[in-house]
Amino acid sequence: MNGLRWTAAILLCGWLGQYPLATLVPHLIMERLYHKVVERAGYNQLNLTLRSDETSRWVVRPSPDLLYASCMYNLEQGPVMISAPVPERYWSMQFYQMNTDNFAGINNQREQRLRTGTQVEVTLLGPDADPAEYPGEVIQSPTTRGVMLLRASDIGDDSQAQAALKNSRCTAQKQTVPS
Amino acid sequence: MMPRGIAVINTLRVFRWPLAVLLSLAVSVLFLVLTIKQGLGQSFLQNGDWHTSESTGSAEAGVIDRAVVAIGGLLASTREDSMYYTLRSVAGEPLRLNCRYHIKGNDYDADWWSITAYGWDHYLIPNGEKRYSFNNENLTRGEDGRWVIRVGTQEEDGDWLPVGPSGAPVANKSTGYDFDLLLRLYTPGDAYLQQPESAPLPVVTLESCS
Repeated sequence: MNGLRWTAAILLCGWLGQYPLATLVPHLIMERLYHKVVERAGYNQLNLTLRSDETSRWVVRPSPDLLYASCMYNLEQGPVMISAPVPERYWSMQFYQMNTDNFAGINNQREQRLRTGTQVEVTLLGPDADPAEYPGEVIQSPTTRGVMLLRASDIGDDSQAQAALKNSRCTAQKQTVPS
Repeated sequence: MMPRGIAVINTLRVFRWPLAVLLSLAVSVLFLVLTIKQGLGQSFLQNGDWHTSESTGSAEAGVIDRAVVAIGGLLASTREDSMYYTLRSVAGEPLRLNCRYHIKGNDYDADWWSITAYGWDHYLIPNGEKRYSFNNENLTRGEDGRWVIRVGTQEEDGDWLPVGPSGAPVANKSTGYDFDLLLRLYTPGDAYLQQPESAPLPVVTLESCS
């Protein structure tokens, strides 16, 4: 009887324990990606991934219809400036915190169509900064580190999309955190 | 002197709590692996054979949904930017490399959309054609705008989406399906945002298996 109670308690704790364990999974996967890209490109730098194929294995499910550029940001030393020309076809700039939440994003579709042909200038702030102190378009990250991902349509003539990503920038406003 | 059996029992009693904690942890890992494997079926919405989640990428996502997406769809956007529908089986039968399928569809309320085949390892499938997807612009359409994509390992006339062995070693495979299909709808319309479980989607049909 005592053995049965122990078994039941272990099964119950095991079942409940999967949930706190599950919360760790996104963090671990994001940390792995973050460090892999930082090793290659560094913090607060734009990393281009033009055209995906079967050899593109830095992140799961790359779209062969999109061109990508990413920036592993670190806001410990201050804001990061992101500058990106917006091409005619689909384009988006998405921000992810380290638990994988897509906490902010802009694109050039529907009501944001007017962004097409412009240069987007975003100041990315850390969680403790005051957005009111910064002019222009400001996005506040809930965490000090995270990922900014640019996507641009690779359908048809992609020369404009390629140029847009190549001319985009992700730069620390102050001193870059040493990698 | 204490008999040997009693000494063993006493030793086990001393270690029962640490042992119970370790066993609970092992059981937690096992439950989590099983839950994540069933993730799409358990907590995602179903629309025909396709599965989707309304909370992908958002802060509202549950812990299991977030873990499932981190493993199989890292850096997914929230549904306002793009919606993702995954298909891993047709009428309950997992997608297999020894079978041929066709996908039939029309147009969908989104700024653009694409259908991509991925291996069980979540990466693009190596193939000589270097063709991994079709999108709303490069499909061959009939006069009524409808289209058909044929999916299989053997080349076919028309729009053929090649599949084959995934790039990862077979020894690592733990899924029941050999590949899956992902429908991406960029800036989807209200039908997908409001009723993702009944909005119009392409229909995938099993043709034959060898």
